[in-house]
Amino acid sequence: MAGVWINQILQGILLGGLYTMFATGLSLSAGVMRFVNIAHGDFIVLACFLLLILTTSLGLNPIVATLVILPVAFAVGFGLQRFLLQRVVGENVLLVILVTFGLSIIIENGLLEGFGADPQKVAGGWMETATIGLGGGINMGLFQVVTFVAAVAVVAALDLVLYRTGIGAKIRAVSDDVAAADLIGLSSVRIYAVAMGISFVTIGIAAGFMSIWTDFDPASGPTRLLIAFEVIVLGGLGSMWGSLMGGIVLGVAQSVGAQFDIAWQMLAGHLVFLIVLAVRPQGLFPKY
Amino acid sequence: MATNELLSVEGVSVFYDKFRALDRIDINVGAGEIVSIIGANGAGKSTLLKAIIGQAGRVEGRIQFEGENILGRATADIVAAGMMLVPEGRRLFPSLTVEENLRLGWAVGRKGEFGFAELWRLFPALEERKRQKAGSLSGGQQQMVALGRALLANPKLLLCDEISLGLAPLVVNELYALIPRVKERGIGILIVEQDIERSLAVADRFYCLLEGRVSLAGHPREATREMVMKHYFGL
Ligand SMILES: Nc1ncnc2c1ncn2[C@@H]1O[C@H](COP(=O)(O)OP(=O)(O)O)[C@@H](O)[C@H]1O
Ligand SMILES: [Mg+2]
Repeated sequence: MAGVWINQILQGILLGGLYTMFATGLSLSAGVMRFVNIAHGDFIVLACFLLLILTTSLGLNPIVATLVILPVAFAVGFGLQRFLLQRVVGENVLLVILVTFGLSIIIENGLLEGFGADPQKVAGGWMETATIGLGGGINMGLFQVVTFVAAVAVVAALDLVLYRTGIGAKIRAVSDDVAAADLIGLSSVRIYAVAMGISFVTIGIAAGFMSIWTDFDPASGPTRLLIAFEVIVLGGLGSMWGSLMGGIVLGVAQSVGAQFDIAWQMLAGHLVFLIVLAVRPQGLFPKY
Repeated sequence: MATNELLSVEGVSVFYDKFRALDRIDINVGAGEIVSIIGANGAGKSTLLKAIIGQAGRVEGRIQFEGENILGRATADIVAAGMMLVPEGRRLFPSLTVEENLRLGWAVGRKGEFGFAELWRLFPALEERKRQKAGSLSGGQQQMVALGRALLANPKLLLCDEISLGLAPLVVNELYALIPRVKERGIGILIVEQDIERSLAVADRFYCLLEGRVSLAGHPREATREMVMKHYFGL
């Protein structure tokens, strides 16, 4: 009996890895630029469809396909911030939110037009089916374990970039005081764009794992945004390691909730989120 | 004016919407020269420095740095060309360490011979605190970081906006003792202050701003106290 619960917790932790990947980029962009990109989830889904094309039409291996889209993702994030969002940033938070909300609708409808509403999936081959048995009826999917390890690596890499590199210091400086950055010649416009570019690289990585882990359709974005949002609020805005903890908390809550009753899966996650928000509004591991 | 002219501001006006904060200002600074701008609160001193460094909104007139027009150029380019501002109120990045704040100065700057070795010699107190968050330092130490950050950019022209603001007199003495040492390196310095005596004591030349105009200019030795007071307050 205990084995069932241990198994659910373990699966929840692994699921938390995927959730962390949804969240890190949003945590970075929201932490630095102080607005939530409402289209974050839709861009993940858009990247999933891109991977679908690359793996089916071009026959690329999913890992290669993901590596191919990462530089593209950086360029899209950089350009989006530099040429569109920068025009409205700072003037009025509501305006930025409306613009990204508009993007979300455009992406969703564009994908619906191009691919229809059917669920899609990228084939992961042997990676998907291999399992690691731990005995006692507990099995971990190899792909799930790889995802979790990759999530830890993404978090560690982002933390390293933010706290150990020159561009990371510039990003944190702009996050501290935009006007002061501009006064000393740190171009905030450029640094914002780089931060959004990095955020979009994590979107590409998240899509690489999500597109194999689960089905997706053009309307899958908002759920991913909600998960990402809950993870960063749980973990503390702007804290990369906090995102990992937030992802694990949410994943375990859902997984354990589902064991009681499958209908409880999402609800349990939302409940834990609301309880933490009420008790610790700054998140479990606040940075700012 | 000077043969080694570094900065020349000619007929510069700055507008905030319809309000004219500066009205056809003429100012110049030579290499290795300390020029002081005095003026009451709201006279337009900070606006002038922001216009020079490329951070004021609408600017008219001519601003030349080493003979080249810089009006309309990006601040990042102006800084890389050899000008750096110590902003009013220090404006450090509080969540960054002292060392990170200082490194930013080097990163945006001209990459000259003034490096961390020179910096620690000038501000020994900062080296011990380099791993501390800048926000945790005292006001005087923060001002040293702000000045150090600017020097690490290896400016040919240093703009200082009210570096004495809110600091104890002893600390201000310490800071002002450094100004001649900066000048020795051949750096031109434009100092903005409300504290008349302090800034006239170090200056080679001065300008007095009153409601956006130059009300008086000259050499500190030649200016009487009454004359300065009259043009400072516009009485
Ligand atoms: N961003 C701004 N928007 C509108 N008015 C401003 C702005 N900055 C300064 N001013 C106005 O311009 C005038 C000069 O300001 P400032 O240059 O800060 O003076 P000082 O530095 O000499 O105290 C003041 O009347 C001030 O209210
Ligand atoms: Mg001022």
